[in-house]
Parts: sequence; C-alpha cells; structure tokens
Amino acid sequence: MVTQLTQNERFLGLIILIALGCLGLVMAAAGQHDPIGMHGWLVVVCSIVMIFVLANGYFAPEPSEARLEHYYDDPSKVGIVVAMLWAIFGMFIGDWVAWQLVYPDLTFDAAWSSFGRIRPAHTTGVIFGFGGNALIATSFHVLQRTTRARLPDQLSPWFVLLGYNLFCLIAISGYFMGITQSKEYAEPEWYADIWLVIVWVTYFLIYLRTLARRREPHIYVANWYYMAFILVVAILHIVNNLAMPIAWNQAKSYSAFSGVQDAMTQWWYGHNAVAFFLTAGFLGMMYYYMPKRAGRPIFSYRLSIISFWGITFMYMWAGSHHLHYTALPHWVQTLGMTFSVMLLVPSWASATNALLTLNGAWHKVRDDATLRFMMMAAIFYGLSTFEGSFMAIRAVNSLSHYTDWTVGHVHAGALGWVALITFGSIYAVVPWLWKQPRMYSPKLIEWHFWLAMAGTLIYVFAMWNSGVIQGLMWRTYNESGTLSYSFIDSLVAMHPYYFARAFGGLLFLLGAIIGFYNVLMTIRMAANVETGDEAVIGNPAAAGE
Amino acid sequence: MSIFGLHYKLERSAIGFTLAVIVAASIGGLVEIAPLFTIDETVEPAPDMRVYTPLELAGRNIYIREGCYACHSQMIRTLRDEVERYGPYSLAVESKYDHPMLWGSKRTGPDLARVGSKYSDQWHVAHLINPRDVVVESKMPPYGWLMRNKLELNDLGLHLKAMRKVGVPYSDAQIANAVKDAIGQASPDSDEATGVSERYGEATNVRAFDGLPGTVTEMDAVVAYLQILGRLTDAAHKTPMKAE
Amino acid sequence: MFDFDHGSIVAFSKSFGLFYLIALSIGVLIYVYWPSNKQRFEDAARNIIHDEDKPCR
Repeated sequence: MVTQLTQNERFLGLIILIALGCLGLVMAAAGQHDPIGMHGWLVVVCSIVMIFVLANGYFAPEPSEARLEHYYDDPSKVGIVVAMLWAIFGMFIGDWVAWQLVYPDLTFDAAWSSFGRIRPAHTTGVIFGFGGNALIATSFHVLQRTTRARLPDQLSPWFVLLGYNLFCLIAISGYFMGITQSKEYAEPEWYADIWLVIVWVTYFLIYLRTLARRREPHIYVANWYYMAFILVVAILHIVNNLAMPIAWNQAKSYSAFSGVQDAMTQWWYGHNAVAFFLTAGFLGMMYYYMPKRAGRPIFSYRLSIISFWGITFMYMWAGSHHLHYTALPHWVQTLGMTFSVMLLVPSWASATNALLTLNGAWHKVRDDATLRFMMMAAIFYGLSTFEGSFMAIRAVNSLSHYTDWTVGHVHAGALGWVALITFGSIYAVVPWLWKQPRMYSPKLIEWHFWLAMAGTLIYVFAMWNSGVIQGLMWRTYNESGTLSYSFIDSLVAMHPYYFARAFGGLLFLLGAIIGFYNVLMTIRMAANVETGDEAVIGNPAAAGE
Repeated sequence: MSIFGLHYKLERSAIGFTLAVIVAASIGGLVEIAPLFTIDETVEPAPDMRVYTPLELAGRNIYIREGCYACHSQMIRTLRDEVERYGPYSLAVESKYDHPMLWGSKRTGPDLARVGSKYSDQWHVAHLINPRDVVVESKMPPYGWLMRNKLELNDLGLHLKAMRKVGVPYSDAQIANAVKDAIGQASPDSDEATGVSERYGEATNVRAFDGLPGTVTEMDAVVAYLQILGRLTDAAHKTPMKAE
Repeated sequence: MFDFDHGSIVAFSKSFGLFYLIALSIGVLIYVYWPSNKQRFEDAARNIIHDEDKPCR
C-alpha cells in the first residue's frame, strides 16, 4: 500500500509522523507525573510503528500514472478491517459489562475493569471505533463513485483514517486509566478532543476537494448525509468539549459549562451525536448501498431530500427531551418534546423510502442475506425512531427515564439499525473493493444474520421488560399511600433480564466474529487470485454453497 | 436571478450546501441553549450556596474517574414518587458549581442527589470496599483501591484555579491553602483543620472520613464528597413543594 | 426596541423557531417539486446503479 503513494506523499507522511512522534515525546516528558505522559508514550509508539510501515516501501519507485485510472480504495479497505476489529472489541467489552450486572464481582477487584471505566470503553469502541471507521471507509468509497472523481490526494485519507484511530486509542486507553470528562459519548479529555478537530477538518476538506473535482453536476443525496454528519459532528464536538485544563501538561480539565447549561449542552450534543453520527452518516450508507445491492434506484429521490432537511433541521431541537421534569426550564422541555414528535415524519419517510425501494425485489431479499441485513436495518430504524418520539413525550418519559427502557431503545437503534446497516454495507462493499464475485461464504452471512437478529431481539425485549417493570415499581404506592418497593426490590427484579440481555449481547458478538472471519477469508481469496493459487480459489465456492 | 435559480446554484455548490446545513442545524441549539445563559430566571438565587472544598472536589473527580455517574443520577425529578423516595426535587442552583454536571441518565443504583448525611461514614467505607457486605443484593462493583490509594494532593491549587477560570468563585486564600485544607478536612484536631471551617463555613464536615486520621486516602475524598451531596445549600428545602 | 433580558429572549426563541421551521419546509418543498428539477433527481437516483469502474478524473 505504501508503494501506491507518490514519493512526495511518502516524504510528507514521514514528516507528519516525525512531528507527531516529537509531540508525543514532549507529552511524555512534560506529563511524566500525570496520565497524559502515558498517552505521550502511546503517541510515540504509534508514530514509530507507522514510520516502520512507511519505511518498508519508502524507496520503492514512483507508482505509475495508471493508478489515476482507478479509484483510490486502499484507505477504505483498511478502514473496513479496522472497523470489524473495533466491532469485536467494543461488543466484547459491552457483553462483559453486561455480565458484570449479573455477576458484579466480574471486575476482579481491579480498577481498570470496573463497570464505570469499561462502560465508556464499550460505547466509544462501538460508536466511534466500529461506527466511525465504517463511516470513514464507506464515505471514501461512496464519495468517489457518486462524483466519479478520484480522491484529491493519497495522503490525507490516510491521515484521517489513522489519525481517527489514534483518537480512539487515546480515548479508550484513557478510560482504563481513569481519564474521562464524564460527558456521555464525549468522554475523552481536551488534548484528544483537539486532535480530533484537526483530523475532522482534514476529513471535511477531502470531501470539499473531491466534490470540486466532480463531473456530475448533481451531488448524490448519500453525500449530503455524509457531509451533514461531518459538519454537524464538528460543531457539536467543539462546543460540547469547551473546557479549561488545569495545566497544559495534565489530562484533567474542567468543563466551561456547569449545572443546567452544561446539562442542556451535553444532551444537545448527546442527542445529536445520535442524529448526525448514528443516523445521518448511516443513512448516507443506506442511500448508496441499498439501491446498489438491490439493483434498483431509490424509490423516491425527492422524498430523500425532504427527509434530509427535516432531519438536519429538527434533530437539533430534540436534545432537551433527555431532561424532562428536571431543573431545566419548562419551555425548553416542551420545545424538545414537540420537535421529537415531529421528527417522526422525516424518520419514517426515510424508512419507508428504503423499504419501498425493495418493493418488487423481495425475492432478492429472501435469497440474499446481505440485502436482508439492510432491510431489517430500515425496519429497526423505523421502529426505534417511533419509540424515540414516543419516549420523548413527557408523560411516557416520566416512566421510561433513568430505566433500562432507555438502554433497550438505544440498542434497538444501535444493534438493529446502525450495526445491521453497517454489516449489510460491508458485505456489499467487500467483494467490490477486493474485486471478488461475492463474499467468501454466503452461508456464514446467513449465520451472522440470524445470530444478529436473535441477539437484538433478546436484548431489546429483555430491556423493555426490565425498564417498564423498574419504572412501575419505582412509582407504585400501597394502600396506605406509601411507596411499595424499596430501590433494592426493583434491582432484584432486574436480575433475570440482565442475564437475558447479556446472553443476547453474546449472540450478537458471535455474529460479528463470524462476519470478521468471512471478511478476512474474502480478502484471502483476493490475495490468492493475485498470486495465482488456483487450488485455494476453488475452495470458497464449495464452502459457500 | 429568481429564488429558484439561486436554489439550483446552492445545491451545485458544495460550499453553499455546507453553509445551508450549518444554518439549518445550528438554529435549534442556539435557540434552546442561548437563553439559558441569560441566567437570572433559569437558576434561582441561593445566597447560602457554598463551593466544594478541595477534598470534596477531589472526591468528585474520583467519582467522575470511576464512572459512578453511569449508574447513579444526581437529579431528583419533580415527580411525587421521586420526592418521597429521595427528598425535595433538585433545583438548578444546586449544580451551579458543577463543572461538568453529573445529573446522570440511568439509575442502575439509586439517585444520589441528597445522599449526603443519610448514611454514616463507616457505612460508606464498608459499602465502597464491598457493597455486598452491606447490601446483599447490590450489583455495585467493589472499590477496594480507594482505601489503598493515597490521595493525590499536590495539584489541588491548580484544580481550584481552573475552576475559578470557568466561573466558580474561589478566593485567593482558598486557592493558596488548597492542599492544607484537603489534609485538614480529613484530619480533625490537626493544625490544618482549623482553617477549613474558616474558609468554607462552620457547617463543613471535618472528620477522618475513612476512619484513619493519619493518612488522606482517596476514600476520604469520595466519602467527603458523598456526604456533601445535596447539602451545599438549603434552597431546595425552602422551596414550596409542588411535585407533579 | 428589542430588550435582551431573559423573558424576551425566550419569547423570541419560541416564536422564531416556528417561523423558521415553516419557511424552511416551504423552501425545501418548492425546491423538491420544482418541475425543471425532476429530470435531474431521476438521473441522480439512476446513475449510481451502473457506475463504470474508473474515475472521470
């Protein structure tokens, strides 16, 4: 892959890596009495590893001009493998954390493995590690195909992909050491946040530069979603993470906001991370890969535009539904509730649009698990957006808030929508990227599909049950007008559901591991074609049928 | 050029599209968040509100470090059952000095907004070392290392200074004596202890929270923090209750 | 003149949101259903299905 870079790009890459390594050394030296020093060493190690990778092909001859005749897909390929690795890591931690609620001593009395530290490792691992890498990898792929323009250079995509993963590594290793801002889904400290801004600006510039090179006059709607994802996440990230470090060589910082303003800012961020990271980006994925895989154009292109602006505009108002009945002023709660209910319109427009695209291709959905992944994703998208609007109503929220119902809702979206559309897209794009007729084993895709379905349903039903029971127990009064249940009574009642949830999560994790194996074997098929090893090429076909 | 021609151009130009997205998406946040900073009516006055002592702040930071907020909320909603279970509903002013706030979003364990003084120090210490020694059915992880770790004291002045920069009214004396006050609050009868109530008020708890007067452990800090939760001001107890 | 106290900012927020929402939706609907745009949208939806495997540039 290094030999594909021009000599100029290799040189620039080397400079960036050396600069980064030096920065790491400064962090390590200045922060030697603080956890930030450990992160300095992490940066140094990552830079050195990448320098070695680069050195491997550094003196190779300049790549031929023929490379410009093809799209530049190397970063997408690496991104997809990395995304699958993060999926397994993040889901493993997630399942572990779920088992800790069944058997609380599974922490082994270590600090790094306690619930509060590995829970953000799970959320960051799956959202940013798995989801983020999948978004970056697919966005480069979709961007080039829909604009019919090659990426503007070959270095900046690598900077984005690898820089982003460095951010993920710093974030997660930090949680284990106890470095966190405590802002949900924005836990990394100030220095990681600054680094992400640099990476993110580069990412957006790639988009603008490629779009500037396009021949197609119209920008395909998938790119609208990807661009909204990049842009709005940047705005959210910068505002929510404004903080004052206690010293430039220490990790700890204090949020610029406090109390009710901080609550509103955090949930303005938190809910829109759902909207623009976990929805807009993945809708971009859906609007490209689903029509491609089904071989049919999107049912209504116009509807996709209407829902785009609806989602972009309305989501931003909805965050305050996380703060019903709190000290947040009442009018902000009402505004949040109103917009959350209205959001159902563009959300269902998108889900319907996706399903109607498949209308007439149901035989393909029946036979092709990849397409079925995408269809179920659209269904879960519709279901969880309906549930979300419903839960944003104050009266419903009074029951559901603080309970496992919220956790169930989040996972209906995260497993059912985000993960399924991603797996579907990955199964579609991997054969295209590695120039194979299909995945290594369609049968394993079927296995993955049913494991994912079973896991999601078990998980979601367990959490619905436990959440509603919990909410009801907390507000049940006996005849003499006092509360019927102590808090611990409600906790005891949760036990069987926590067990079921952890089991459902385990099934989902197994599916992801199978998926990773399938991806790796498909890549090996491609490698064997290149080396002309016919004997091995014959195998997968047999294994697949 | 007609407005529709403009639209056509907008869509063709990526920059224009970018701006359109920024405008469409920013308005919601601006409209909802900006008025909250015109603070008078959002946060009610509470003249008796005091700031965290350095020891309590250190405890709060450990609470954040261990991710306690993932399972414990600090926000009693204005619902009858919550008020009866946990106490008067939370007011905005009570988290005025919380950078960041720890209202939480999930109650795997109970709300802690008013846990201060509800249990003894010994109960908290035993509970944190092994929750199931005290509450058999508990799902909380054990936090034994809090007792084993000495509290990192040296930077407390920097912490207070950073807090002041984001708007918490720490005095110069409080910043200068941060380390001394942290030691003093956990070591009653020591020379350092006298300054604590002078600088933070007579009502400040000055105790050997972890039961060991000689050393300042992380346990001291966490328990000191837990014991002050809901007790920085009496405002909530004075507001007439009107739970829904 | 507009007075920047809490009450008026809240009032402005509550009313402005509505007008802005309506204006945006009307704008989007006009854009989407403007007859001359129809062909372009249909082309865009169809074009992604059959892409050749190399960039124009």
